[in-house]
Amino acid sequence: MTNKIHTYQAVFLLDNEEVRKGFNQAKDWVQACLEKHNVDVKVLRLWGERALAYPIGSRQRATYLLGWVEASGEAVNEAKREMYLVGPAFRIMFLRADEIPAEEMAFGIEAIDDSAVEVPDEIEEFEMIEEDVAEEAAESKTEEKTEENTDEQAGEKAADSSDESEAVAAGEENKEN
Amino acid sequence: MSSKKDRMFDFKNVEELQTFITPLGKIMPAKRTGLSGREQRRLKTAVKMARQLALLSYGVQ
Repeated sequence: MTNKIHTYQAVFLLDNEEVRKGFNQAKDWVQACLEKHNVDVKVLRLWGERALAYPIGSRQRATYLLGWVEASGEAVNEAKREMYLVGPAFRIMFLRADEIPAEEMAFGIEAIDDSAVEVPDEIEEFEMIEEDVAEEAAESKTEEKTEENTDEQAGEKAADSSDESEAVAAGEENKEN
Repeated sequence: MSSKKDRMFDFKNVEELQTFITPLGKIMPAKRTGLSGREQRRLKTAVKMARQLALLSYGVQ
């Protein structure tokens, strides 16, 4: 079995509970885990904290960590296996790439202050979700209203056209008589 | 042979991907996107990866 080294783009979804304890702590854990399995970490940087498109477990939001690594497929699989068992990352993806882009390479292993990472509290998360739901409901109501109005207008037009056709038919009958 | 350069899709560019997704979360057919077969396959891969990372939803419940 060959252990050919490839370049991979990696994305890690970090649990916000762990990020609240310290972003650098979580990032260092990921980096240490990768290096333990002979994965050469070239770039590791914060991509952002955002809402998930669908809930994963009880999580509604997550912190995204983006990385570029060089390793063999076997090493990547081993690192992935360990990270799914323990640690702050709850979803991981490695994607084969031809090369690391220059603009990404410029980031390197980014060191940022813990205070720079803003993670909303759980309560705020729920409030935000409720707000989103309320906004969506309001939007759907307005859409329904506009649809109803257009349906009514279409119905009126249809009624008018049928009246006109009836009148024309009656006129033709009269002419025949 | 078309002289246009093939379009590439990045799974991290959610805004771009959303333009090729129906309100129900499905990928639009090539007939509607106007993409070539190769580009449509690239789009499909990018959308599926974005879904895996919870950047895009699988559909509306």
